[in-house]
Amino acid sequence: MSERAISLPVKCLSCHEELSTPIVCDGCHTLYPVPQSADFFDLLSIGRTFHLDEGLLARAYRSIARQIHPDRFGGDSIEAGNLSTRLSAQVNQAFATLRDPVKRAAYILEIAGGPSAAEVREVPGALLGEVMMLREEIEQAQAKGDDAAIARHRGAIAKRRDETLEEIAGRADGLWEASDEDKKGFRVLLNSIKYFDNLLTELAVNPLAANQDH
Amino acid sequence: MGEKNDIIIGIDLGTTNSLVAFADEAGPHLIAGENGPDDVIVPSVLGFDEAGVLKTIGVEAREHAVEQPTTTIHSVKRLMGRGFADVAQEAAALPYRVERRDESGERDIASIIVGERSFTPPELSALILRDLKQRAETHFGRSITKTVITVPAQFDDAQRQATRDAGQIAGLEVVRIVNEPTAAALAYGLDRKEDATIAVYDLGGGTFDISILRLEDGVFEVLATNGDTHLGGDDFDNALISLFASEIRDQFGIEITSPTIKQQLRTLSENIKKRLSDDDEAQIQIAIGNDKVYEKTITRDDFEKMIDPFVARTLDACSRAMKTAGLTQSEINQVVLVGGSTRVPYVRRRVGEVFDTKPYTALNPEHVVAMGAGVQAAILSGIERDVLLLDVTPLSLGIETLGGAMGKLIPANVKIPCQASETFTTFKDGQTNIKINVLQGERELADDCRSLGVFELGGIPPMPAGLPKIDVTFLIDQNGILSVSAKEQRSGKAASIQIIPSHGLTRDEVKRMEQEAITHAREDMAAHHLIDVRTTLEFDLNKVEGMLDRYETQFTVNETTDFSKRISELRSFARSCDDATTINERREAFNQSTLPLAERAMTAALSGSIASTDGDDDRAPEKH
Ligand SMILES: [Zn+2]
Repeated sequence: MSERAISLPVKCLSCHEELSTPIVCDGCHTLYPVPQSADFFDLLSIGRTFHLDEGLLARAYRSIARQIHPDRFGGDSIEAGNLSTRLSAQVNQAFATLRDPVKRAAYILEIAGGPSAAEVREVPGALLGEVMMLREEIEQAQAKGDDAAIARHRGAIAKRRDETLEEIAGRADGLWEASDEDKKGFRVLLNSIKYFDNLLTELAVNPLAANQDH
Repeated sequence: MGEKNDIIIGIDLGTTNSLVAFADEAGPHLIAGENGPDDVIVPSVLGFDEAGVLKTIGVEAREHAVEQPTTTIHSVKRLMGRGFADVAQEAAALPYRVERRDESGERDIASIIVGERSFTPPELSALILRDLKQRAETHFGRSITKTVITVPAQFDDAQRQATRDAGQIAGLEVVRIVNEPTAAALAYGLDRKEDATIAVYDLGGGTFDISILRLEDGVFEVLATNGDTHLGGDDFDNALISLFASEIRDQFGIEITSPTIKQQLRTLSENIKKRLSDDDEAQIQIAIGNDKVYEKTITRDDFEKMIDPFVARTLDACSRAMKTAGLTQSEINQVVLVGGSTRVPYVRRRVGEVFDTKPYTALNPEHVVAMGAGVQAAILSGIERDVLLLDVTPLSLGIETLGGAMGKLIPANVKIPCQASETFTTFKDGQTNIKINVLQGERELADDCRSLGVFELGGIPPMPAGLPKIDVTFLIDQNGILSVSAKEQRSGKAASIQIIPSHGLTRDEVKRMEQEAITHAREDMAAHHLIDVRTTLEFDLNKVEGMLDRYETQFTVNETTDFSKRISELRSFARSCDDATTINERREAFNQSTLPLAERAMTAALSGSIASTDGDDDRAPEKH
């Protein structure tokens, strides 16, 4: 886990209460802009780990959203209203990122200094051939209207995706101390998730397969 | 936390009906009009005269819809924030005239022509809002300047802006725009203490929304929303109308063109729809001229077959919303029905099937949105502190990229407020401005999405192509309304942004319309004043006439003739003059000139020198 310190205005500048989150004072509701050094984990006051408690995350989010939402600053100054809108947008983005395991893993890679999706576009070598063959089989099944085969393919792809995600989960918290090579490898895994998702979307938009959801 | 003593009201500005509410510690209350506590619904109908002067609003205006179809304006909400090109098809079915207003040449705003005047949809909606505002002012006995207004969840940025503009024109600051299904959930969920997942099925006159919400720790979190801004109970009516029209054509060889018969058909269809909610069949008869009468019996079964395609579309949207929320029907604890069109039994039945639960209808589906607006108003004014609403954006936001594709920046169903940033650069040496076409919609091509407007970044220092870097931030606020800011990376200086709305009004236009609305209101007041002054004059003239008659013997023949002449002159002057002040001055001068005569009449009466004629004029001096 990262040892980076965040530069909180440890005490509220208005009422001198200690701050439990960097952006709002529990006591007097004064809002503070997000500090440069704060990441999404800091914003939601939650431990910086991939294996977070999703219930805890949701509760932390609701509690902060309650304090900073623009509806709480209706009659206050325009500046307070604008700041609460911007802060809410940032907290909403933080929550949307951290609640989704794939986005959360990608975010940890980003703050750990790993390569972006634009920098490393490759996927595991074997995957390309595998996907090409799958595509062909899916097209054939769709052409024949073979619903059972399509459902089988969907199951197989979903399983491969789950396995990849498990691998990602196993490596995510090690990213802080990982080598550049390992960080690149992590990105490659994330890229393959994108491949699987695209395939699943293609299957879902097919009218023959559309009612097979759930 | 509203300023002290600042009352905020909540308004449901509907396609068919509008209501106003507020909430206090006891909960939400609808504000009734002058006809008793049940008078809470104001039909969203405006009655004008041939010159385009507003005469009636609400129930009274709706009653004239058949006789005056071209000057009775309804369904304005369908035109809010839209271009004429968007609505041309449905405008053809409306009995009044809709045209394209094109002020700068780049915009397309649908406007309504009544007599000699042309109105934009926000100006017309403002007239309804002003009526509701006055209702609230009468209720509270003080002026009201702030309101929450509800809109369909599927409303885009332009439609939301138009709603806010309508508020401003009516002299109301729209402190919050709330999605209708979310408002309904607020009204329903306020009593609930336990956590729940709720689906709100909202089928109004012209729009359909489905929203799925999670209620936890007093936080109403919208998980997904879906719908259609062009689907509603009006479509049920239209299906009946086109059936009748085509049968009339076949039976009598008559094409229905008269706006009066069209409106009559509409009214009949609405009635049939209501009757078939209780009865198994309904009959209609309509005189179509030349002693010809069209008769028809519709069974409930016929009607259900007719509306099935529309209901099926709403159910598809329900499935999509569940999928977005990642939920199955068994995970939805409660389905709430909102909107007048959910009274149709077939709708209830099908919705119950899709969610596998009996819809919950404890509150009147036509009242619940306004009540929720009242609750949101109470949240904003600090009266209700335990509840918070977290809504989502209904549509994806993006920009037009090279090649005419839609480059998505913020996907649909993301929590608002939300923001996204994008860096832009120049592609020509020395280029000093960049135009960005901002889009909303789910389609791949820019042309298939709605353009919110063109944002022009200016003041870029002339540099070689690709060197300037301008960070543009797109922020969607809690109302679902977009604002854009831009900063040049190197200098950190804010770049100027000029917005040309595609279908909206500029700030200046809204200001001007607000002023005009006040002027119009003053003109109306002046008109009332004129009537008052004329009435007073007539009263005074009658009095003098009575005196001349009664005390005839006290005046010379010349005097009598002279005054009679002046009285008739003054009467015709008052009819021809529109200036209340001038009429009043003449009236006072005339009254002055009659004083010597009145004195003589008084003396005569007191000395008893004439016979009293008791009775018919109680202002005559008494006999002692
Ligand atoms: Zn404080």
